[in-house]
Amino acid sequence: MKTVLQLIRKDYKLFWSDRRAVSMTFIIPIALIIIWGAVFGNINKGGTATKLHLAFLNNSTSPIGKKIERVLDSSKTFVLIKSYKDENGKRIPFDTSSIQNFVRKGSVSAALVIPVDALSDTAFGLKLKFYYDPKNDLEMQMIDGMLQKTIMTEIPDIFMQGMKNQAVKFLGSDSGKAFNNEIAKTVGKYFKIDPKWITNPPIDSLMSMSGGSDSARNSFFQNILQLDKVQLVGQDIANPWATRSVGGWAMMFLLFTLTATSSALFEEKKSGVVLRLLASPISRVQILWSKYLYNMSLGFIQLLILFSAGALLYQIDIFSNFINLVLIIIAAATACTAFGMLLSSISRTAGQANGYGMFLILAMSSIGGAWFPTSFMPDFIQTISKFTIVYWSMDGILQVLWRSAGIIDILLNIGILIGIAALITSISIWQFKKGHVF
Amino acid sequence: MIKINSITKRYPTITALDNISLTINKQEFFGLLGPNGAGKTTLMNLLVGYLNPDQGEIHIAGEKVTQDGLHTRKNIGLVPQSLALYDDLSAQDNLDIFGSFYHIEKNLLKERIKEKLESVQLYERRKDKVKTFSGGMKRRLNLVASMLHDPPILLCDEPTVGIDPQSRNAIFDYLLMLNEKGKTIVYTTHYMEEAERLCKRIAIIDFGKIIAEGTIDELIEKLPYDETILITKNQITVSKIDVLKQFGSIIDEDDHFQLKPNAGFQLSQFFSSLEKHTISYKFVELHKPTLESYFLHLTGRRLRD
Ligand SMILES: Nc1ncnc2c1ncn2[C@@H]1O[C@H](COP(=O)(O)OP(=O)(O)O)[C@@H](O)[C@H]1O
Ligand SMILES: [Mg+2]
Repeated sequence: MKTVLQLIRKDYKLFWSDRRAVSMTFIIPIALIIIWGAVFGNINKGGTATKLHLAFLNNSTSPIGKKIERVLDSSKTFVLIKSYKDENGKRIPFDTSSIQNFVRKGSVSAALVIPVDALSDTAFGLKLKFYYDPKNDLEMQMIDGMLQKTIMTEIPDIFMQGMKNQAVKFLGSDSGKAFNNEIAKTVGKYFKIDPKWITNPPIDSLMSMSGGSDSARNSFFQNILQLDKVQLVGQDIANPWATRSVGGWAMMFLLFTLTATSSALFEEKKSGVVLRLLASPISRVQILWSKYLYNMSLGFIQLLILFSAGALLYQIDIFSNFINLVLIIIAAATACTAFGMLLSSISRTAGQANGYGMFLILAMSSIGGAWFPTSFMPDFIQTISKFTIVYWSMDGILQVLWRSAGIIDILLNIGILIGIAALITSISIWQFKKGHVF
Repeated sequence: MIKINSITKRYPTITALDNISLTINKQEFFGLLGPNGAGKTTLMNLLVGYLNPDQGEIHIAGEKVTQDGLHTRKNIGLVPQSLALYDDLSAQDNLDIFGSFYHIEKNLLKERIKEKLESVQLYERRKDKVKTFSGGMKRRLNLVASMLHDPPILLCDEPTVGIDPQSRNAIFDYLLMLNEKGKTIVYTTHYMEEAERLCKRIAIIDFGKIIAEGTIDELIEKLPYDETILITKNQITVSKIDVLKQFGSIIDEDDHFQLKPNAGFQLSQFFSSLEKHTISYKFVELHKPTLESYFLHLTGRRLRD
């Protein structure tokens, strides 16, 4: 044991003497977190070709409600989920409370409810209820945007209906072109947009993304379509995107760091230091142990420092659920260490290990949800993502930081991460025994 | 002290050591001389238990060497052929790390580090990173890094490769001094001058086999001639070299011919023949036979091919 500790001490000494390693481990990821924060602080909703999952409940009997349901059902953007599975695996249609629970549990990022009083004469537009989980803030904003766009393009009646209602209410008269001009003027005044823009061109080109002022248009729609948004999880937590972004970068750089430190074994082998060490009273097993423990502890320190940076920069609350955060971090560091060591065990040079590493890390990070929420991705990618370390780590970290998950909630994540670590470690030990590295 | 018994070591494509047996005595300065790829490093790696032999056994101080038996390693210091040092750390930190694995008492280790650095003239530079060192300085550090536990046996695997003459001499003097003080030293090299200068007894290894073993005098005595003759290459000698073939075999080298005399060779006859063919004496040089000539005699190749 003493020998193993001496070896670990040696590795830390080497780590500190290598400025590039230190900056790759701490400084670069922190810098990227800051840049990423600046870029995405004002998040813009982008388009996507993939389907978004949306829980859906229609309580309204109005034809418009039916139409919305039909439109969303047939849309290319959304997959509507209208029921859930209970403990016995039976499908049960949502009701007003079960649909909210469904979002709370994180099974889906957002839910849309068309209430009984969706369409009323007194309201300007259509009233809908939108429940969301801010852990997936980005995704929620996207669903919100797509929802408005879909409804407004497909159901211009709502638009017209709303305008007519409003016109009748304000003007009390109805006479052909005059009405249109009047209503356009009124609406224009009301929403501070050019009246011509409303009467001419017609609605579909109005919906197109070209021309006009985006912000004016957005506020226009937002007022016609009243989406009553209710945040269901983590009400009092600041900066929803920051947790994801810090977590994502941290996971990716954890993998980079541990791949690099594992492949340091090749440097030691090449220079002959491994020979020198093994010519001293040190066994191969001790060297392997020291490498695993060193990498795990370094990974743990790295994640802790990056999350502390997140806490400092973006007020991510790491302390109220600290113990569970530490547990999931240890599990993530263990799994990533195993990954790094596996790469070294199957490679013949450091270059090879880092090359495979680069590819696998980028693939795992993108698929596993380090960059974007996995729910943005096509179904088959979402299935693949469950085979990555990044997915289970990110999911665990977000559960801990967002849902204030207890140990029971993250047990599955920890179990799977440790399981992955155990599996790939046995592969690498078997490879190390075949002796490419030593 | 070291008993090597019928050792064979195979790599996937080559038999690096082929049934080798050697005995090295206590306090001996033993040389292992052979060209690159002969199997010297492989043998050293077997001696420390870094590699396992395919056949045969090695005993050091009565104990069998195995990959898992860490105990024998306390008796051995291996100076690896490569510069097995951490470039980004200082000389002192390197020694501190490599010494730490022998569980030497802290103050004693500190003292030893100072003493070793002084003995190879590196104490002034102890705080500098190894990557700022010259080749010779690195070699000297590489040497003492293997001696912090004060082992009775020192295995030096080509410890002077790529080094300036001054550092080389410093290492020679240091090793000779250690041997004087009772250390057993095994020294591998492909420079016959080194083996001649340092080693009392040598083994010549080629293609994984020991082809000769003994003291240097014993080996040279086995040669069928007393000297070799070097003939400078120029117009005259090139045109007339054929007439000298009667005296022995002639090897064509870069800037000269080398004549290995036949048995019964007479110097006087040789010189009168030179006179007869008007080849000036000044193109001719007599050489006492060396290990080099012995290797040449055994293998038909020069050591540094
Ligand atoms: N790890 C290895 N794998 C395969 N072949 C090797 C390995 N190490 C050495 N060899 C081969 O074994 C032979 C002896 O090598 P080595 O012991 O290094 O010779 P030397 O030290 O005398 O130059 C060489 O032909 C070399 O190419
Ligand atoms: Mg060698």
